[in-house]
Amino acid sequence: MINNLIVENVSKRFIVGSRSEKSVLSKLHFFIFRREKKRYFWVLKNISFSVKPGEMIGIIGKNGSGKSTLIRTIAGIYSQDKGTIKVNGNIACLAGHNNGFKNRLTMKDNIHLVCSLYGLNPKDIGRYFTSIVEFSELRGYENTKLYKFSTGMMTRLSFSIMLHSIKKINPKVLLLDEVFSAGDLQFKLKCLDIIKQLLKKNVSILIVSHHLKTISYHCSRAILMDKGEIIKNDKTKKVLDWYLKKEKLTIDGKRIKK
Amino acid sequence: MAISDFKLRNEGTYLGFIWYLLNPILLFIILLLIFQDRLGSGIESYGLYLLMGIIMFNFFQKTSLASTKSILNNASIIKSIKFQRKSIIISVVIQNILEHIFEIIIFTFVMVLYNQSPLGMIFYPLIFIVFIVFTYGVSLILASLTMYFHDIHNMWNFLLKLLWFATPIFYGFGGQTKLLIFNLINPLYYFIKLSRDIVIYNTMPPPHTIFITIGLALISLLIGIVVYDKLEKRFAEML
Ligand SMILES: Nc1ncnc2c1ncn2[C@@H]1O[C@H](COP(=O)(O)OP(=O)(O)OP(=O)(O)O)[C@@H](O)[C@H]1O
Ligand SMILES: [Mg+2]
Repeated sequence: MINNLIVENVSKRFIVGSRSEKSVLSKLHFFIFRREKKRYFWVLKNISFSVKPGEMIGIIGKNGSGKSTLIRTIAGIYSQDKGTIKVNGNIACLAGHNNGFKNRLTMKDNIHLVCSLYGLNPKDIGRYFTSIVEFSELRGYENTKLYKFSTGMMTRLSFSIMLHSIKKINPKVLLLDEVFSAGDLQFKLKCLDIIKQLLKKNVSILIVSHHLKTISYHCSRAILMDKGEIIKNDKTKKVLDWYLKKEKLTIDGKRIKK
Repeated sequence: MAISDFKLRNEGTYLGFIWYLLNPILLFIILLLIFQDRLGSGIESYGLYLLMGIIMFNFFQKTSLASTKSILNNASIIKSIKFQRKSIIISVVIQNILEHIFEIIIFTFVMVLYNQSPLGMIFYPLIFIVFIVFTYGVSLILASLTMYFHDIHNMWNFLLKLLWFATPIFYGFGGQTKLLIFNLINPLYYFIKLSRDIVIYNTMPPPHTIFITIGLALISLLIGIVVYDKLEKRFAEML
């Protein structure tokens, strides 16, 4: 079977240390005194893996291990410095709860804005609008500005928008980065139901989460990342067991007592 | 995108667009009152001369300044969705075009007040289109550079202030050769002069002015696209 996503030897570096030098004046200063130096930091080192149709893969790892960077690189938001990413079709991505929303705009305007960025035309947006509001269960908030929303409400909205726009995008790969961290359980289950339907339609899903139970229930395979490298890429159970043993944790989040 | 920007800027003020107009109009009235009998005394239809300069400079100033901030203002969108990021700058330009249209309408009214036939305005859109292309190119350059140098906004603001005084907007040259020589390298001068000649004075400008404006617009667009394409790759991670 053809893979939906092939990531081959992808490396990415960030330029660090130049943060404070980001002004013309300081650049000039450095230029005159010849102390210009660029430091690189490799966030992703030689990442390779592939994803089959209908497969759901969990990506786990410590904070700062490069999970979000990997997701953004696959989504094309960041560009890699080395390696290739091949996608057999379209790609959709949802990162965090603040999916490009503008806090000073109303929910209605945000729906229009984000949908149009996803590539939907005004006609489609009009068609999906009520359904988006219904699904997120945020009826009555259409004209409320987003800064008055709770984090979970934003999660609901962004998820709902994403689920509706993929009807149009028809992605082969769906990337989810910590999307369930703020939504309540009932909403999470509702989303997972839809995700299962998508899997049946041979969409591949990559999900980043710190909630290991979610990963262990729903993913067939898991990828463990550390310091920009893939340490384990195997059946979920094997990866989780290895990880938990290494960190001396249980899946319920308790420490293993010696 | 342009619509959402417009809404955002109008937030809280029902008649928001009046504020955009108020600024150039007040400036126009003040300068007219001060200079009509001094700097403007040797200039035919000084009011129109002045207003044309103000609204064209205003368009350039607002668009280019807003574009230096536009990428930063849309950081969360850029970081979470992949899309054609040029559209952010295009939306800035479109929004300023809409505002400029209001100014043009006012200009036409003032023309009638001055007992001048507003027929010359027919040609203005042609010049304005070339001016838009020029402004868009400059905006692309500035927006891309802002990602790498955060103080571009301040610097550009300062340069615009200088440009405001260096460009003959509220005065004419009147034999000041130094200023004239400077303005030969000032792109805005050509655009403003062309519009004044055609719209206000109904004279055919020397053809080289027309070619220069078109050339400037194309060069600025070309440099803009090249710079933007080169720098765009790292936009998302610099935010
Ligand atoms: N724009 C950036 N510029 C420079 N360094 C960055 C940038 N974004 C992230 N980093 C660095 O890259 C590393 C990986 O970050 P990333 O956000 O991918 O981690 P993560 O695995 O998603 O962590 P978390 O579990 O906290 O979400 C971190 O060390 C971070 O400091
Ligand atoms: Mg992350």
